[in-house]
Amino acid sequence: MAKILTGGIGRDEVARTVSGLGIAGLHIAVANDMDAAGQLRAGQADYFLGTCHTGAGASLGVLVGLLGRSACHTFGRGEPTEAEIAELLAGGTTVFGFCLDRIDTVAPRLARAIAAARP
Amino acid sequence: MSWAPGTAAAGPARSSVTAAGLALSPAQALTVVVLCALTALMAHLALAVFNDGVRPFLLDFVQGRTTRAATTAVAFGLSAGFVFGLGAPMALSSGVLNPWLLFLPTDVLGILAPRTWLAALLGAGWGAVVVFGLNGANAFAHGLPVDFLTAMQQLSTPILFLFTLFPVLAVTRQFGRLRGAVTGLVELALVVLTMRLWPHMFAGAAAMAAGVLLLIGFAVAADLRRGRTAGEEPDRSATQEATASLFDAGAARLRRRLPLFMLLGAGVCALAQMKVFGGGEATSFLIAKGQYAEAAQVDFYRMFGFLPLIATTALASGAYGIAGLTLVYPVGYLAPNPYLAAAAGALVFAAEVLALSSLGRVLGRLPSLRDSSEHLRGAIGEALGLAVLFGSLMAANAMGGGLGLLVCGGLYLLNEAMGRPVVRTAAAPAAVLAGGVVLNVLYWLDLFTPVTAAAP
Repeated sequence: MAKILTGGIGRDEVARTVSGLGIAGLHIAVANDMDAAGQLRAGQADYFLGTCHTGAGASLGVLVGLLGRSACHTFGRGEPTEAEIAELLAGGTTVFGFCLDRIDTVAPRLARAIAAARP
Repeated sequence: MSWAPGTAAAGPARSSVTAAGLALSPAQALTVVVLCALTALMAHLALAVFNDGVRPFLLDFVQGRTTRAATTAVAFGLSAGFVFGLGAPMALSSGVLNPWLLFLPTDVLGILAPRTWLAALLGAGWGAVVVFGLNGANAFAHGLPVDFLTAMQQLSTPILFLFTLFPVLAVTRQFGRLRGAVTGLVELALVVLTMRLWPHMFAGAAAMAAGVLLLIGFAVAADLRRGRTAGEEPDRSATQEATASLFDAGAARLRRRLPLFMLLGAGVCALAQMKVFGGGEATSFLIAKGQYAEAAQVDFYRMFGFLPLIATTALASGAYGIAGLTLVYPVGYLAPNPYLAAAAGALVFAAEVLALSSLGRVLGRLPSLRDSSEHLRGAIGEALGLAVLFGSLMAANAMGGGLGLLVCGGLYLLNEAMGRPVVRTAAAPAAVLAGGVVLNVLYWLDLFTPVTAAAP
């Protein structure tokens, strides 16, 4: 069971996309960067998927400052491979940022990888 | 166009702005060059960047956890698409400078430069390239048999009128169909009323004001209701403390450089006063038509979409926005002369930097309002996306009829099919520019006859 929070401009779309996949064991909720920081620190949530126009800074908001650079990764406008995501997850990354116009490909890939990393 | 140009406040530099020609006076050109040197310097010192996406990365850079080269790569990656896809086509089509064209490159150049003086020099260089290069490009392109720059003026009507709707989209997404419909009806009624009663005014001005005020009203009401029923959750106090200390450090760093920020505010505000610069997505087209009062309103309401983002990223990173909270844009448009604008800009920036800490605390207590600003920005993107796509296709039709639509629409669809190497908002105008080149080549090969009745 993993709890994923979404944030940023495309958070509703990300939540809809991921819940539409119907992956068992994933709980997804819409949040914002401030709330997410609190829940991640308190262990009430496990991952954060943020989106913005560029897929970088604004997608993560204050999370980089509050959770530390090592917990965060932004793909920008790129599309990461499953192997890249698996490596980041294994390395302890919990906060991911990507571009608004890559939601349809990146969000499902991240969700599947998270589900696979947490059986 | 249903409204006449030039009814708003006149400025001394007014006569130099023509329909689609960037003709800057020596004083204006000098202001651009000096301001670009200053903005590059601010980026070099990691004190301010225009790109909101780059700002959070500056914290690591300031604290020495990343290198200048790595930060430059981030800044370039986040900015390049918006310079060539948004800033340049908009400047070419409106004849007015914009912050994406001027300040995104100075972000990158300033961070890139290993020395302070080099940063200023590179920034000034970019300012000169824009001032003189765009003038030349404009003259050259207008002289071509297929004049794609005149055709690009087709962009202005869809951008202005669809931009008017952005508060409606934000209200609908955040507060549901009923309130969205109410906001929509209020805006529509105001647009119709404005067109009937004040035909010389931009029809969307009052509607946009009402829409944004409704959204803010709904958000503050929601926060007040939530505050009464829920109160503070105890398990979040540790995070709040961490946020507070991070924000305090950021605010303190900015306050230490207050004089530099006042100088920056003075420069940006003076540039906005010169009627050759539009700060927001829709503003360039209003400035080009001489509607400064309307431009000031549009950018004032647009500010609410960006204020929380700029304030929180600035507090979290210790680096500010090149245009601050963007309040200097409307102040500049309305200022009677550049000197007063500079003084007002300096005061606005000083007030913003000093108030940033308390602003962060207020925003922390109003989560619905922070959400509203995200919805506003999302809505600006959506409205602009449709407007730019439709306007670009109208431009394609104006310059090449069916063949123009085929080439430009085709390039846009091809970009989609290839996984969007060019950002979506920017793809359509970029396709018009590329399509214009293709049509000129076809004309030169004697394979295409231009559509003579291009837009005035």
